[in-house]
Amino acid sequence: MTYLGFFNVVNVPCIQVTAILRVNEYTQEFQGFSVKSYDSNQLPSNNPIEDTRAEARCLLTQGLLLGIFDGHAGGSCAQVLSKRLFKYVAASLLHPEVVHKYSQAPTDLIQSFNDNYELAKILEELYSSSFKQFLTDLAKQTSEVDANKALERAFLRIDQDMSQEAEPTVAGPASQATLTVAAAGAVACVSYIAGAHLHVASTGDCQAVLGSVTENNRWTATKLTEEHNSDNAAEVARILAEHPPNEQDTVIKMDRLLGQLAPLRAFGDFRFKWSRDRLRRLLVPKLGDQALPPNYYTPPYLTAKPQVTHHRLTPKDKFLVIASDGLWDLISPLQAVRLVGEHMSGKVTLNPFRLPKSEMKLKEVNQLLLQRKEGLKMKPLDTNAATHLIRNALGGTEYGVDHGKLSQLLMLPDDMVRVFRDDITVTVVYFDSEFLQKCPA
Amino acid sequence: MSAAAGTVRIFGAIRKRSPLIHQQIRLINQSQVELNLSDDSLPSKARVVICGGGVQGAAVAYELAKLGLGNETVLLEQGRLGGGSTWHSTGLVTHLRNTYTETRLARDSVALYKELDSQGLKTGWRQCGSLSVARTKDRMTMFRRIKARAQAWKIPCEVFTVNEVAAKCPIILTSDVLGGLWVPGDGVGDPYEICVSLISAARKKGVKIIESCSIYKVMEDKGKVSAVETSKGNIQCDVFVNCGGLWARKVGKLSQTPVKVPLHPCEHYCLHTKPIPGLDPNTPVVKDEDGQIYLRENEGKLLIGGFELIAKPAFEDGKVPDNFSHQSLIPDWDHFHVLLEQMLHRIPKLSDIVIERLCNGPEAFSPDGKWLLGEAPEVQNYFVAAGANTMGLSAAGGLAKATAGLILGRGGGLPADSYELELSRFLGLHNNRRYLRDRVKEVPGMHFKLPYPFQEFTTGRNLRMSPIYPRLRQAGAVFGQVMGYERPSYFDTSIDSEAARSADSPDYEEHYGLRPFRIATTNTFGKPPWFDIVESEYTACRETVGISDYSSFTKMDLWSKGSQVVDFLQKVCSNDVDIPIGGIIHTGMQNEKGGYENDCSFARLAENRYMMLAPTIQQTRCKTWMQRHMPSDGSVAVSDVTSMYTAICVMGPHAIPLLSELADVDLNPSFFPFFTFKELDVGLASGIRAMNLTHTGELGCVLYIPNEFALHVYSGLVEFGKKYGLQHCGYYAMRALRIEKFYAFWGQDLDTSTTPLECGRSFRVKFDKKANFIGKDALLKQREEGIKRMYVQLILQDHDSEVDLWPWGGEPILKDGRYVGATTTTGYGFTLGRQVCLGFVENRDEKGNTGLVTNDFVLSGDYQVDIAGVRYEAKVNLNSPVLPTKYTPIDPERLRYQATRPHIK
Repeated sequence: MTYLGFFNVVNVPCIQVTAILRVNEYTQEFQGFSVKSYDSNQLPSNNPIEDTRAEARCLLTQGLLLGIFDGHAGGSCAQVLSKRLFKYVAASLLHPEVVHKYSQAPTDLIQSFNDNYELAKILEELYSSSFKQFLTDLAKQTSEVDANKALERAFLRIDQDMSQEAEPTVAGPASQATLTVAAAGAVACVSYIAGAHLHVASTGDCQAVLGSVTENNRWTATKLTEEHNSDNAAEVARILAEHPPNEQDTVIKMDRLLGQLAPLRAFGDFRFKWSRDRLRRLLVPKLGDQALPPNYYTPPYLTAKPQVTHHRLTPKDKFLVIASDGLWDLISPLQAVRLVGEHMSGKVTLNPFRLPKSEMKLKEVNQLLLQRKEGLKMKPLDTNAATHLIRNALGGTEYGVDHGKLSQLLMLPDDMVRVFRDDITVTVVYFDSEFLQKCPA
Repeated sequence: MSAAAGTVRIFGAIRKRSPLIHQQIRLINQSQVELNLSDDSLPSKARVVICGGGVQGAAVAYELAKLGLGNETVLLEQGRLGGGSTWHSTGLVTHLRNTYTETRLARDSVALYKELDSQGLKTGWRQCGSLSVARTKDRMTMFRRIKARAQAWKIPCEVFTVNEVAAKCPIILTSDVLGGLWVPGDGVGDPYEICVSLISAARKKGVKIIESCSIYKVMEDKGKVSAVETSKGNIQCDVFVNCGGLWARKVGKLSQTPVKVPLHPCEHYCLHTKPIPGLDPNTPVVKDEDGQIYLRENEGKLLIGGFELIAKPAFEDGKVPDNFSHQSLIPDWDHFHVLLEQMLHRIPKLSDIVIERLCNGPEAFSPDGKWLLGEAPEVQNYFVAAGANTMGLSAAGGLAKATAGLILGRGGGLPADSYELELSRFLGLHNNRRYLRDRVKEVPGMHFKLPYPFQEFTTGRNLRMSPIYPRLRQAGAVFGQVMGYERPSYFDTSIDSEAARSADSPDYEEHYGLRPFRIATTNTFGKPPWFDIVESEYTACRETVGISDYSSFTKMDLWSKGSQVVDFLQKVCSNDVDIPIGGIIHTGMQNEKGGYENDCSFARLAENRYMMLAPTIQQTRCKTWMQRHMPSDGSVAVSDVTSMYTAICVMGPHAIPLLSELADVDLNPSFFPFFTFKELDVGLASGIRAMNLTHTGELGCVLYIPNEFALHVYSGLVEFGKKYGLQHCGYYAMRALRIEKFYAFWGQDLDTSTTPLECGRSFRVKFDKKANFIGKDALLKQREEGIKRMYVQLILQDHDSEVDLWPWGGEPILKDGRYVGATTTTGYGFTLGRQVCLGFVENRDEKGNTGLVTNDFVLSGDYQVDIAGVRYEAKVNLNSPVLPTKYTPIDPERLRYQATRPHIK
């Protein structure tokens, strides 16, 4: 870790490192359900953190919702989403008749876990009236939709509502706040698990990875999401096709949408969705001329439409890792799956060994391998798998977790930290194999 | 990754490398060969199409060209030449293999490389010799056994003292070494150079080489190869040779009728050092088998590899990427570490040597660790030469020569006794991907394991089991595996089933109260741990009654509407099968040379229906042989009923009384004579075929029981048997019985090169039967001219079974101090109280020429058997002996029966 060497950072004691890593730990267990438990954790880089997370149980359908929201241009959009999106999803999942009954006598749609903060009162009222309207619209539907469609509908509707709520005529006194939300953005990955059915909806570059054991007791990683960024050729092609040929060189520039936005799908970010007129009217007064992106000819350039996948869980599927790109910048899906898989059996995982330099003598190689052998005997420090992932992602080496490297990365000054690591949010969902064994098709 | 990039020199050829990511495997080098040996266009027709441009395919092309088929041969390579395992193989060539067949093929390989060398072609061949070192006494015993054999095979070889080891190779640590084995004729080659040289030589003789040509389908016409569909078009051909190496199994699946090529790749590690100053260029190949490692010198560097005890299968999904050419896998250093520690131990100097790289090259392994050769049972004119199990260079030349011989039909088959390498040794189960993946974990380690007698694998077990298997296991059976079948080797009731059961046993059957599954082990070259048990089982068979599970035996039904089945069997059998209904006939099926393709018994069930009983390992082989010789009109039907019957042998003086009681019928010899069968009601069951023969020379019969009745009949036997002193007996006791009675077994004593005249069975050849049978001419000629070897029984005289090393097969036989042959099977004769060796005796002069062998020749002279360098006096027998018994024989005719009788001219 020589590249960190020029910072004068104190090597903090192990116990303190652990304390820092565990601040945001959360674990929830379940009974009689395809999900046995989940471990979740967050490590901020931005101050305040721009990632948010939400987990909730649907009360009118038997399902669990778990989501991670990675905000940008401030955390407001991600915060609002984590507060509101699951209600939209839970309602979308209902049969229209049930929606109708429910809107007559509303009860709680969802039971949230680990929900630590509240919205301002005026926003609360505004959002609840939007939601009521959504319920009214849902009740008009003629037929039930499947979970994949429901997720997509909820994603699109809440984005649409956030757009509406930015209008001063709609928001009234709350408009300062709603305009802030509209100027911010967030990507999201939400999974809905009901029985053996796993649905994952993703907008942006969070990722969900399924960890399964093979017949040969090895771990395999299955990515259930595609990242919507410029590395994704299909996504780039989709956007180019939506705009006239003369914009081909400007729509995606320097790997970013209109040269500015890294994710190619997102909530909020109405600077890339509204018409020029509307931007001039609502956001330019607030943000100045730079509110209008360059080469802004044929909006919208951005959508909140998610890519949704369905997977039928089998007893071989052991867990799901959902995480923001802060984690995936550091480790691969397979590494994450191996780390969690070995963690389940109380074992540590070392990074694959490579010769650290050329011109190595064989006794040196032997020394290193002996060191690894010792490292492999260690037990993981953390019981929370999300913490285990974060610790290894930041401090993992070929011989075990390097405390020095880890403490340096954790103790970086606020103005430098974002260069070396992003906000990290991880949720690991464990499946109940026995439940899945008996689960009807 | 900078250490791995750039240009690397391996065995002289320059290859460029670049990082490449493929699936989840990151391949560290992708090499490009700066050679152009490829022809452009695919011809539309050829006689022979060879698939695979590795050293094996190249050698087959070369051998065919040498035999004049150059212009009619095309070699197809999916990528570039030598891209599979050829380019990374270490190129060791070792002569002394575990069997004579492999040894002879390896000798042919060396001859080929020397031949190329003499033509000025590059081979990298260097006869530097090989030095094996021993850490244990048993390893030294193995060396002495090998040396004894090598002397008989005329391969120079010496057992070294520690000082001689140190002098021969000063770089190795010898403080923990007991001695060594020096084989001066061994050496090293460069597989890649040899491949290129073979290809260029073959091209000069007209062979067309097409690179970047993938095979899509191998087409058939009437069960024979007819054409190959490729990415460059179709090519008509008569013969297809699968030399696909890592891809051979996949290629096997591409024919219309899929061909089983049971191979699975495993990771194989080889460490390359930087140049070592002062390293003797004549450093021999060193094998430290107790440490699972080997090394060779290469251009001033060392290449050190190993066969770890538990290997890592590669490409576990069974799919080797087509473009995996000139590439290696990312090394798993933690896995390799066990080998590295052994390397550092054996070569102390290595500590300060700089590593160049660690190569993890996948190699294809077969489920029994033996090479793959011969014509596919599934498709005619489809040949396979593959599965060298990392011994690519030792195998390539020999397998190629044998394959070329097969293609040209020279002398009607493979050189002598190659049956153990032939594809017909496999069943469908052997090609099961998961079975292979599990099995190949232990196959590489077998290379260097001590070859104790009756070696068993631990993977792929409990696969084929007879219905009475749980009861046998409960009765204490300790198992051996044959053709996937669990067969009791002996019954050990001394272990308490509760105590032996481990708490976390994966074997769920144990939770139902079964004794734990146990695999038979010998683990010594001396008196085996199971001696007393087998003696007791043997005694039961001789004095009371024993039962033994024969269910693994091959069983076939043959029938026809008219008499076609009789005519057919008369053609393929040398004995006269036109026997009365109810009779059983023991006969050989000879090949054109008169050798045994099969040795079996036929029970005539009806006028035009027979049941065939054959050795377990014949299941695929004998069916293929018969099908290839059947009338093409489909008038004769054959059906493999092996899995339909449970076979229980009941033998001993009380066998017939026991059966009579259980079957409620008088089975005295006048009603139920030797070599007949009866359909019996046994207990409450019916339709049990009792065949009056035991294959061991003991009184009794084998019951062929439809599977659903097996437990019922077994229970009855055990219950009624109590008062007769019934005992469970395993395979080792059967073996002891039949060896003492001088009964030959196919696959152990007899093979495709043995004729009935040579093994004392001319009385079973009916030259005067009306029908002409396959091999008759050869046998007539041999009868005229006399035989050049004879099957004998040798009784060791001055051998102490308690302390001396035992004979286990393969020991040299000396007559008047001169090597005349080798033992085939051996065993302790409990009645004779002596070691008994079966084997063949030749009449060799000093130059090694063989003369005629007559009874007088054999009977005159003093015999010795050499066991690990010690010679024991032996008495020779030509006849099955009549063993004393304390019981009045109820069947005197049977007692006089001799399975082996000398030929009387």
